[in-house]
Amino acid sequence: MKNNVKITRIKTSMTQQQLAKKTGVTRQTIGLIEKGEYNPTLQLCIAIAKELDKTLDELFWEVEE
Amino acid sequence: MKSWISFLMPEDEYKEKKMLYFLAEGGVLLFLFLVIMIISSNFISLDTGVILLAGIAIFLFYTLGRYILSGIEHTDIATEKEYKRALRALKSRTASFVVVFGIGYLIYKITSDQASWYDFFGMVISVGVLSFLLDFISLKRSYKKNKELL
Repeated sequence: MKNNVKITRIKTSMTQQQLAKKTGVTRQTIGLIEKGEYNPTLQLCIAIAKELDKTLDELFWEVEE
Repeated sequence: MKSWISFLMPEDEYKEKKMLYFLAEGGVLLFLFLVIMIISSNFISLDTGVILLAGIAIFLFYTLGRYILSGIEHTDIATEKEYKRALRALKSRTASFVVVFGIGYLIYKITSDQASWYDFFGMVISVGVLSFLLDFISLKRSYKKNKELL
């Protein structure tokens, strides 16, 4: 699933490790989500959105261009 | 989700999901193996002990093999520096394990009155090499996987 987690995380100057620690998962899981290789649970999506100060729409909603 | 197996599962949801898949696949393989053995037992005589041991071995080797090859054990090893540090830790961990295992096995050998140095060194070296190899493959696979995710 395509998402904006990586770009948003980089904009907030947060490392994968920091985001992982704050959301209670491993760095590998954050990396997989950013690459679109793992679809997180809604609970984890919300935790990531809260840490990055974004809405679920802004992070995970696909917009056709 | 509540389940009695939750206490065996890791906190991380991706790792948990993968492990559940490996255990389920192992369970299905074990089931198929047992079905084949029940059918075969009508035609050939089978040693129950061997079959039960083979079933346990199939489940253990499959789930352990999948876990090691999946690269999900060392989730935070992504840079060369971290990899080298983890490799050093792995070597010292293996050395400690070999020493503890060696002492335990030596005591067992002495008390069971079957002392043979060839057996002793053969077993300790085999266990040490196997333990190192399994950990090393897992570390290498994890590093490779994590490096691609940076």
